[in-house]
Amino acid sequence: METDYNREALDAAALAGDILLASGAEIFRVEETIDRIAHAYGIESCDAFVLSSGIFLTAGNEKEKEFARVRHIPLSAARLDKVTAVNQLSREIENGMHTAAQAKERLLEIQQMPSAPRFYQVLASGVGSGCFCLLFGGDMVDCGAAFLAGTLLYLYLLYLVRGRLSKIASNITGGMLVTFAAVLLYHLGIGHHLGEMIIGSIIPLVPGVAFTNAIRDIADQDYIAGAVRMLDALLVTFCIAMGVGIVMMGYHNIAGGAVF
Amino acid sequence: MLSVRIIFEFFASYIGTIAFALLFQVPKKYYGYCGLIGGCGWLCYKLILPYGASFTSTFLAAVLVIFLSRLFAVRKRCPVTVFLIAGIFPLVPGAGIYWTAYYVVTNELDKAGARGFETLKIAVAIVMGILLVFEFPQKWFQKEA
Repeated sequence: METDYNREALDAAALAGDILLASGAEIFRVEETIDRIAHAYGIESCDAFVLSSGIFLTAGNEKEKEFARVRHIPLSAARLDKVTAVNQLSREIENGMHTAAQAKERLLEIQQMPSAPRFYQVLASGVGSGCFCLLFGGDMVDCGAAFLAGTLLYLYLLYLVRGRLSKIASNITGGMLVTFAAVLLYHLGIGHHLGEMIIGSIIPLVPGVAFTNAIRDIADQDYIAGAVRMLDALLVTFCIAMGVGIVMMGYHNIAGGAVF
Repeated sequence: MLSVRIIFEFFASYIGTIAFALLFQVPKKYYGYCGLIGGCGWLCYKLILPYGASFTSTFLAAVLVIFLSRLFAVRKRCPVTVFLIAGIFPLVPGAGIYWTAYYVVTNELDKAGARGFETLKIAVAIVMGILLVFEFPQKWFQKEA
């Protein structure tokens, strides 16, 4: 009976770790949450080693049964709602509000939490692009054009790509699409500052999550995870620049030099 | 006129930050805080920019953004990431990435180098802001008993 209970608790701890890591939490938080949950259920021998793409969890000593679990977790999009929910749950577990089985059930529910409707995400991408275009010095018309380009970008990413392309390919093509849309709108007379329009509408691609997490992991001395996430951020940035560059090059060869 | 523009930009970054909060699936009840952090960060950046280099103003704005993120995280008992990631977005050097790519393509390599280096400096300013504020002890953010 005792060992079954331990097993359930460790399952819950490991699952909490999986969800956090896949949703874009810092390594430090993942390790801390696993330890917290395990300790709350009275497991002393739990040891977690977390990388940016995997969790290694073992337990076992003279008194407690052995347990080992290795999970591979691919890099994926940020789901801060799940991070918040797991964080809340781990506090409740510490206060003894759930048995291990209940906690596991609750974690499975969190894992299945639906994301915001795709329509809202598309709209948010457009609004974000428009607002940032304004901040970087565009006028109202540029803002409208950036809104269109940003909307188009997420329509492309959410409905056409749907994770089927590699990260590199989707960022290069995303950058190309946005630049192409901006150039097209500019030539149709919608928008006055081509540069600001493109800057606004590439912002949804910029790897803010990877960059911020990379710095925080390195600051917590999780160098391997930090380095991997930093590489991810740099690679995505480079891909966006490539995408923009390819279309701009074509544009310059056809239109013959800067027109703004 | 300038002050009108500043207020206008505050709201633009407020709404822009909330849009990104939605993309990262921040729970709805925190949207207002995310927007406030993004808006304050941009305001700070814009107000200091006339008196210093972009490095200084980005650094100070990043410090403010991260300080507020930690403050709200402690008060609302939720992970700091929730506020930080959306709030830092207005400071991210998206313009630098674009102009660097642009000058490389148009073969103005000296300008590309200058822009690329500028982008790197801004990124370093954000990094230093993050490193600094996360060294502050936790009790600075807790309510006075």
